[in-house]
Amino acid sequence: MIYMYKVAVVGDKDSILGFKALGIDVFPVIEKDEARRVVDTLARDKYGIIFITEQTASLIPDTIERYNNQMLPAVILIPSNQGTLNIGMDMINKNVEKAVGTNIL
Amino acid sequence: MKVGRIIKVSGPLVVAEGMDEANVYDVVKVSENKLIGEIIEMRGDKASIQVYEETTGIGPGEPVYTTGEPLSVELGPGLVTTMFDGIQRPLDAIREVGGDFLTRGIDLPGLDREKKWHFTPTVKVGDEVGPGDVIGTVQETAVVLHKIMVPPGISGRVKSIEEGEFTVVDTVCVLEGDQEYELQMMQKWPVRRGRPYIKKLDPDEPLITGQRVIDTFFPAAKGGTAAVPGPFGSGKTVVQHQLAKWADAEIIVYVGCGERGNEMTDVLMEFPEIKDPRTGESLMNRTILIANTSNMPVAAREASIYTGITIAEYFRDMGYSVAIMADSTSRWAEALREMSGRLEEMPGDEGYPAYLASRAAEFYERAGKVVCLGKDNRVGALTVIGAVSPPGGDISEPVSQATLRIVKVFWGLDSSLAYRRHFPAINWLNSYSLYQNKVDQWMDKNIDPEFSKNRIKAMTLLQEESSLQEIVRLVGRDSLSEGDQLKLEAAKSIREDFLQQNAFHEEDTYTSLNKQNLMLKMVLAFYDEGKRALDNGVYLKEILDLPVREKIARAKFIGEDRVSEIESIIEELKASIDELVSKGGILNA
Repeated sequence: MIYMYKVAVVGDKDSILGFKALGIDVFPVIEKDEARRVVDTLARDKYGIIFITEQTASLIPDTIERYNNQMLPAVILIPSNQGTLNIGMDMINKNVEKAVGTNIL
Repeated sequence: MKVGRIIKVSGPLVVAEGMDEANVYDVVKVSENKLIGEIIEMRGDKASIQVYEETTGIGPGEPVYTTGEPLSVELGPGLVTTMFDGIQRPLDAIREVGGDFLTRGIDLPGLDREKKWHFTPTVKVGDEVGPGDVIGTVQETAVVLHKIMVPPGISGRVKSIEEGEFTVVDTVCVLEGDQEYELQMMQKWPVRRGRPYIKKLDPDEPLITGQRVIDTFFPAAKGGTAAVPGPFGSGKTVVQHQLAKWADAEIIVYVGCGERGNEMTDVLMEFPEIKDPRTGESLMNRTILIANTSNMPVAAREASIYTGITIAEYFRDMGYSVAIMADSTSRWAEALREMSGRLEEMPGDEGYPAYLASRAAEFYERAGKVVCLGKDNRVGALTVIGAVSPPGGDISEPVSQATLRIVKVFWGLDSSLAYRRHFPAINWLNSYSLYQNKVDQWMDKNIDPEFSKNRIKAMTLLQEESSLQEIVRLVGRDSLSEGDQLKLEAAKSIREDFLQQNAFHEEDTYTSLNKQNLMLKMVLAFYDEGKRALDNGVYLKEILDLPVREKIARAKFIGEDRVSEIESIIEELKASIDELVSKGGILNA
């Protein structure tokens, strides 16, 4: 039987509420410890993809780093409603560089 | 007796003719200087003699006198605390006669003939005594009760025995029977023959040394054999000194064989200062030193090993646990090689004589836990610990190989560990102890039922560390999972907080088994608790940053009287992990 992974979004309420319309679980968080706990819990809870707003991610670099080294869940950074901090794009660039050896983007 | 005549001199080897009355292994006096030598080969009436003293100025034509006796040591009160040369001449007395360095032709008895000892009989007139029976005792030092035994091969009924002050050559007891024997406190025994015993037993009790890596991971048994091979600078001598200081034997014989003179000086300076943790007396009170340092005659080096082990056997026969340290057997083998070369024998591997392996075996096989001669069935043990100095640290050379075939414990010293300042530099991956099973049973019974389980767990961690290290070298530490990173940290903690031991720190130099057990539990608790925390979602970094780790690292400096503090460290560790789990753990949704 194929296991169906779930998708979650973590971030401030205003930025992520819209995702609910797409059927994605949303987890609004405000401060650091709460964010960390939510992400850790989701990771154990068979969520395959976790979107995190860049603003929230910048609070918990250790946690992001931790899941970077694991296959699942994929932690993906998205801009929030206040615009982008470019961390997400940087991480993609870095991963591409690791994979192909040079930045082709 | 007929006097022989020298026909050839080659260093310590002298060949004399006209020796048809002598036998091989007889002691002879060479030239008018009366240099002491031993016949090691006879062809017709030509005898090859190894001379235990400097042979400069000796030439053909000079006389050789036979004594008709094999090379023997004198056994009796006065051995303990004394320093002898390779053929049991007391170095203190030699210095009084001949000055700081060895002078030739000094013939001194091994035991002081003048000194009086208080002899207390333990048998009565009319008692039947046989070989090995104790007829009386002498309090030799504060900790050594010297038992005067009937020499092997003699038995009879006690005709007279007296209490009082005697020298070692005074008759203290007369036996009657088929023949009348006058017994003195001193007896002689040829060094090349092992002293007899009734039965050899299986060594099953550990020789407790207070060295954590040795006692916990690679224990030697009382009556066992061990070898310490290692390149120079890796700490062979320090290991040997530590064993001589802290091993729980009643008598220590330390043979300094071909090594530096100042290492013997260290022993002479340090031992009287150190208090034995068991008796509270100075360590010198149980130590006998045999010195043939690198500048002393090479032939006597060959004899020094035998002299040492014969003295050790004598104390074993009293029912004591004796340990003999030989530092280093490689120099002894080199002395054999030198003599063999001068004898023009066919050389074996690397020029060592073909009989190297059998000679080494002969020496190590004199170790053992035995039921001694005598009616009281006392049990004595003789543990032999030999250092080996393989050139370049490569143990594939003949002396190491010949030794490793016989000994049951191998403490392999590693120069890369020594370079990293990890002392004692005993490599935990290639060392072994074949007494482990027996000793595990003993430890589980006497120390802690969990002991062997914990030991295996710690060793498994160390072995896993070495395979993880290979991955780390290839792809870097960050690519390991958190669980593996914790494993590396735990293994590091075992290495640094448990295995490393500072021989020169007051508290750290000796660790009792009880403290070792607690320390092992503590470092393993860190791994178990850390894993529990990881499973509950705590981050590795938080576990590694725990302030209690500092206390774990310092636990080795906790005094023996405060070992319960280690238990409270374990409690504190558990509490702080609990706190981490409750704070940073996952939500229980």
